[in-house]
Amino acid sequence: MISLDAQSRPALARGVRLRNDPITGEPVLLFPEGVLPLDAATHDILIRCSGQATVASIILSLAEEYETDPGTVRADVCECLAQLRQRMLVAISS
Amino acid sequence: MNYRPYLLLAELTHSCPLHCPYCSNPIVYPGGRELSTAEWRRVFEEAAQLGVLHLGFSGGEPLRRADLAELVAAARAAGLYTNLITSAVGLQRRRAAQLREAGLDSIQISFQSDQETLADQIAGASAHALKLEAAKVARELGFPLTVNVVLHRGNIVRLEQIISLAEDLEAERLELANAQFYGWAFQNRAALLPTRSQIARAVEIVAARKKQLLGRMEILFVTPDYYSERPKPCMNGWATRFLTVNPVGDVLPCPTASAIRGLRFDNVRTRPLAWIWSQSESFNRFRGTEWMPAPCCECPMREIDFGGCRCQAALLTGDAAATDPACSLSPHRQKLASFVESVQEDPAANRPFAAGLGRLSFRQNPH
Repeated sequence: MISLDAQSRPALARGVRLRNDPITGEPVLLFPEGVLPLDAATHDILIRCSGQATVASIILSLAEEYETDPGTVRADVCECLAQLRQRMLVAISS
Repeated sequence: MNYRPYLLLAELTHSCPLHCPYCSNPIVYPGGRELSTAEWRRVFEEAAQLGVLHLGFSGGEPLRRADLAELVAAARAAGLYTNLITSAVGLQRRRAAQLREAGLDSIQISFQSDQETLADQIAGASAHALKLEAAKVARELGFPLTVNVVLHRGNIVRLEQIISLAEDLEAERLELANAQFYGWAFQNRAALLPTRSQIARAVEIVAARKKQLLGRMEILFVTPDYYSERPKPCMNGWATRFLTVNPVGDVLPCPTASAIRGLRFDNVRTRPLAWIWSQSESFNRFRGTEWMPAPCCECPMREIDFGGCRCQAALLTGDAAATDPACSLSPHRQKLASFVESVQEDPAANRPFAAGLGRLSFRQNPH
């Protein structure tokens, strides 16, 4: 199994779509077995999961956006990606 | 409270090439003509306006509708995510490519077991080989794949091999759905409910394989409510997130709600979906907590499990408003408990599936 590390390049898994909920305007993730409303932090991570950007660069980009240092966001980003991956909503390649 | 549906299950037809004895379809099918292409298109548009984001095509077997690709395109045009829930009988390459072209997002294929002979005995049809082929085609065309296996006494002993099958098929998801006892499954429950030790073993196997397959395949498994102390939070509460439209256009808060005698369902041919969702008697009957009897109405869990399943309460107690007997606090718990105990002592419980075929009634198609 490929493990999730700083050089992994996460992307939305096959068949997963990110869109805005037309009723609330809030972001949601659509996937084969359902709908997952997203909080702002998860959305910020997912829009950076291009399949090109590494986890390390996603952390840098988020730290810049939140005007904080990378160490502050690292644990949350890794935890969030690990959970999404467990549910097969995010896939990774190295 | 403002309720809003997210998911629509469109049961396109009750016709199916399989005859699984655990089918949750009603034993007595509703009368009337199947909805037309144009009527379904209108349902999808109304559903999207109401807030639905996700659509499951189900049945019976949705591939039996010649206009399925047209319906997929209509649902996509309405902005819905589309998932095909299928036996895969009839999913040849050309048909699958046509559905891909129409915008179908994902495919869920049912398997009855990993072994062809057993699988076909359970399905009451020669289907296993076709399913294997269809799963391969689905992957080659780039569809995400969910494998769904209804678990019961006849196949739970094959759980390890079933998980390996889903892994070999490169499925993203494996739904191990313990048979739920509605419709045909309720009639056959004495032959279908696994024993307590079979369930305990299954829980161990699933935990180990989940860990091993992390990031490759998600395994979904919920301990069956017949073996739980607390009921399942059925449909996440009556009429809060889900809509089912059956083949003739009746709108149901859950796919098995026709098990509740005396509950009348409104139809998309005579009422707008929005009215049915917000105003109809059937959708409001068990919404919220005001309908609840004791002990539910005083229970701290009442907004967590919603008193369990209304259909199960109706089937086991005759009263759809009773506490689900899957709850240990239900005054009717004994009805469920004595049935569960009878299964533990059943000398047939550990015999092979084929030995018990005579005890089962297999699902029939509508005439």
